[in-house]
Amino acid sequence: MTKRNIVHILLVVLTLFSGISCSRRNDRNPNNLIYWSSNNTQEIQFAKYVVDQWNEKNPNERISFQPVPEGQSSEEIILAAVVGKTTPDIYSNMWEGNVEDYARAGVLVALDTLKGFKDYISQRCDSAVIKEVTSSDGHIYQIPWKINPIMMIYNKKIMEGLGLSDAPKDYSDYFSAAKKFRDENIDKNGYVKKWFGYCEVQVTWWQRFFDFYPLYLAASGGAPLIKDDTAAFNNKYAIEVFTFLHKLYKDNYFTKEQLSVQQDVFLASIIASRFTGPWEIAHSEKFKPKGFTYGFSAMPVPDNHTGPVYTYCDPKNIVIFKTCPNPELAWRFIKYMTDKENDLKLLEYTNQLPRRKMLDEDTFFTNYFKDNPKMLKFAKQSRYVRGTDPYPHLTEVFDIISQEYEESVVYGRKTPAEAIRDAAKAVNLLYLK
Amino acid sequence: MTKKKLVPYLLVSPYLIYFLVFIAFPVIFSIVLTFNSWNIISPMKYNGLNNYIRLFHDQFFLQSLVNTLIFLVIHIPLQIIVAMLLALALNQKVKFLGFFRAAFFLPVIVSGVVVTIIWQQLYGFDTGLFNRILTTIGLGRVGWLIDPAWAMPSIAIMATWKNVGLYVILFLVGLQTVPNHYYEAADLEGANKFQKFFKITLPMINPTIFMVVILSTIGGFSLFIEPYIMTGGGPLNSTLSAVLYIYKQGFFFYNMGYSATLGLFFALLILSVIMIQKKFIEKE
Amino acid sequence: MKKVLFYIFLSLAAVAFLYPFLWMIIASLSPENQIGNLTFIPTSLSFESYTEMLSKIPIARALFNSTFVALCITFGVLVFGSMVGYALARLEFKGRNLIFFIIIFTMTLPFQITLIPQYILMVKFQWVDTYWALIVPYLMNSLAIIMFRQYFKTLPQDIIDAARIDGCGDFEIIFRILWPNSIPALVTIGIITFMASWNEVLWPLIVIRNEHLMTLPQLVTLFAVGGAAETQLGVKLAAATLLALPIVLAYLFFQKYFIQSMASTGIKE
Repeated sequence: MTKRNIVHILLVVLTLFSGISCSRRNDRNPNNLIYWSSNNTQEIQFAKYVVDQWNEKNPNERISFQPVPEGQSSEEIILAAVVGKTTPDIYSNMWEGNVEDYARAGVLVALDTLKGFKDYISQRCDSAVIKEVTSSDGHIYQIPWKINPIMMIYNKKIMEGLGLSDAPKDYSDYFSAAKKFRDENIDKNGYVKKWFGYCEVQVTWWQRFFDFYPLYLAASGGAPLIKDDTAAFNNKYAIEVFTFLHKLYKDNYFTKEQLSVQQDVFLASIIASRFTGPWEIAHSEKFKPKGFTYGFSAMPVPDNHTGPVYTYCDPKNIVIFKTCPNPELAWRFIKYMTDKENDLKLLEYTNQLPRRKMLDEDTFFTNYFKDNPKMLKFAKQSRYVRGTDPYPHLTEVFDIISQEYEESVVYGRKTPAEAIRDAAKAVNLLYLK
Repeated sequence: MTKKKLVPYLLVSPYLIYFLVFIAFPVIFSIVLTFNSWNIISPMKYNGLNNYIRLFHDQFFLQSLVNTLIFLVIHIPLQIIVAMLLALALNQKVKFLGFFRAAFFLPVIVSGVVVTIIWQQLYGFDTGLFNRILTTIGLGRVGWLIDPAWAMPSIAIMATWKNVGLYVILFLVGLQTVPNHYYEAADLEGANKFQKFFKITLPMINPTIFMVVILSTIGGFSLFIEPYIMTGGGPLNSTLSAVLYIYKQGFFFYNMGYSATLGLFFALLILSVIMIQKKFIEKE
Repeated sequence: MKKVLFYIFLSLAAVAFLYPFLWMIIASLSPENQIGNLTFIPTSLSFESYTEMLSKIPIARALFNSTFVALCITFGVLVFGSMVGYALARLEFKGRNLIFFIIIFTMTLPFQITLIPQYILMVKFQWVDTYWALIVPYLMNSLAIIMFRQYFKTLPQDIIDAARIDGCGDFEIIFRILWPNSIPALVTIGIITFMASWNEVLWPLIVIRNEHLMTLPQLVTLFAVGGAAETQLGVKLAAATLLALPIVLAYLFFQKYFIQSMASTGIKE
């Protein structure tokens, strides 16, 4: 064996394993921060707009923008990024329910330590929201940025065909409309061709943001899921919601099939309604067939319900990760990104609501809502919304509820009361450890 | 001279490095992990035998094993029967043999992701091709992916469709090794087709059958992408495969210690099943 | 009559294996509102699904990633596999049997056992979201080593002796003398390795979260289960078609090699 050969083999081995020592993040420029936004088309446009404006004004303090990588959910991606130490500096699509976990793991910057934060937050949000985003250690790790209240979208033509001027408001109305619709769309073999509504049947935890959780908040007037480290949902409202949903499947008003793998069933008029957020407007306007009309209304509530109808608002907030080499710059960028002008741009680009107090009455936004009456409904609803409770393990909580949901609501293997009781039991175990 | 002695070691050194880094260390580390709880973000915490205790009380893991078993029980016989039928057909004097062989083999080379995306549509309850055919010929619909009793069989059928081409080829090779004079002798004794098949063909290609069993078993144990895309493990966890469950515990909830415990236990289970099958083959 | 029935049976079987792929291609070329129709020819051709898909996911980049990764792995497996295979087949040294035994043993080791620790290894090496994580763990393949070993054993000793007299070192023997004489083995191992790596999904799902480093099957999987397709079925099917296309094209040209390679090892993707 010649020396040259030995050199060759060493070279091969060395090149292969040299990667071990090479890290991409050694020499970070403190004046060039990485910002990730959500990855839906409209939000990417908004983020590009804001980042371009910023970079034009601040050529020496640049922000590099990238949408959060594609995955089953952005929550999964962020967790993986934290684990793999590949987090961005600024992230604007942080689900409120995850912040407590990350704060406790020590990967987020406490924002209240930054200059001018307290004035900023009290100007932007009311005390209820500030309380909602304050961590158990008293610090605030997130900026309430945008919300998407969950409401019921409905096909106007179908409702008119059923003799209704508006979408059903309470459970009985909902059932009678659903029954009428089903009876019209059942074939001679007993198969239903069209459904009154649709909820995602997969047990993925966050699917419950679009059925159980907003319905629970609506029924209970905004009661918490978790309180004092125990399950607070073991009550008649949760059971009522499970009972309501179960009847929808049992009586064939909803299908157990995963319709989301097909084409858009709402725009194809295969379903008459569903629970969704304002992002549906942009999507529907883009893909709707000619002559298709739709409206939004509040979540259905139990028959004897009084008071405002609450819902879940799916809050997505802005955080700064501790890996950020220049939090002060990040904070200035965030302030810029969330000022009134840019909040208006957010509305225009994405149809998502900035989490500002009195949004529907603020004169700065009046023109926008005049041009977008559907969005005004969401803005009005935004007075009666809840985010998540400031406790850790919420992913697991929703996963537990999802498992029971599938057994009880979809397949009827347990009564609603049993399912809620078992879920509460499992959740309580979670907070014991 | 010493240089010469070194050469073989230099040649195998890449493998040795690979073995130490990617096999030996992970196996040892995996065993260490099973005694700890760790989410990677916070420091590792020793928790004794808790992972094992949890494993033996974990109904989801038990269910994932049962699901895997259901998959194998349907998949393996179906695979063998269909592959055998097609191989017997192709073993005749067939025109366009190349075309048919190529057609049967096509799904084997295509990514499981593609196959799953297509079959998800075929299995649709309201609009899928299968239920349309069933209703056209006057039968009732089947809840392929929405009925907990049907979901795993549906995935097994799809997996059979995807892999059967490979086994057709393997059986064809096996069939061609059966000497022709065996059949001629049987003809003289007046044996019919079925007798010939069961008395001559089947015993002769027994080794191939066992190879198919082993390969399908290993394939079945690593079932992941099909339920991941198609059902996410549902309905009612009826398609939760063991690998999908390990993946969920590890990369969904970041329970690394528990996930490693599941992996270790499952790996030992696979090894013992394969060993038993091997023993069985050697005896035959 | 019997013949006719026989061919009808075979043709039906062929349709059963081909139609789903045909449907996918046709549907991906149809306008979104006509996908539901199960036809053989699209009523009107539309490339909208493809343009829509191109605007949503970096599919060209993913195509490059998959090709790059699969080529690196195939090259590495061929080089390292033949090195180790040669040493095991043709050289005498202490520990040879032990190493051979270890290789056989690792072949039987289920991947489930090393999955989690290998991921943690990637985290510790800071290889998450790099090509290293996709390539390095696959550069060595026990099956390839064994196949090379078997094949090299069948080659005549004369050619090696002749090369030695000409003053060739072992590396020259492997790559200049043995490789040209081992084309069938190289093709077989190359095809299996390339295909296995091209179709791998689980590992990329675990170690890659950066969209620009994702492999094609990973990106298509996430596109199918994630929300970016905006429930546009045609777009999903277009992505799936693109994923299948390269391998199917290669298969059409090298069909014989594909079938032989896969049959010789019994390995599925």
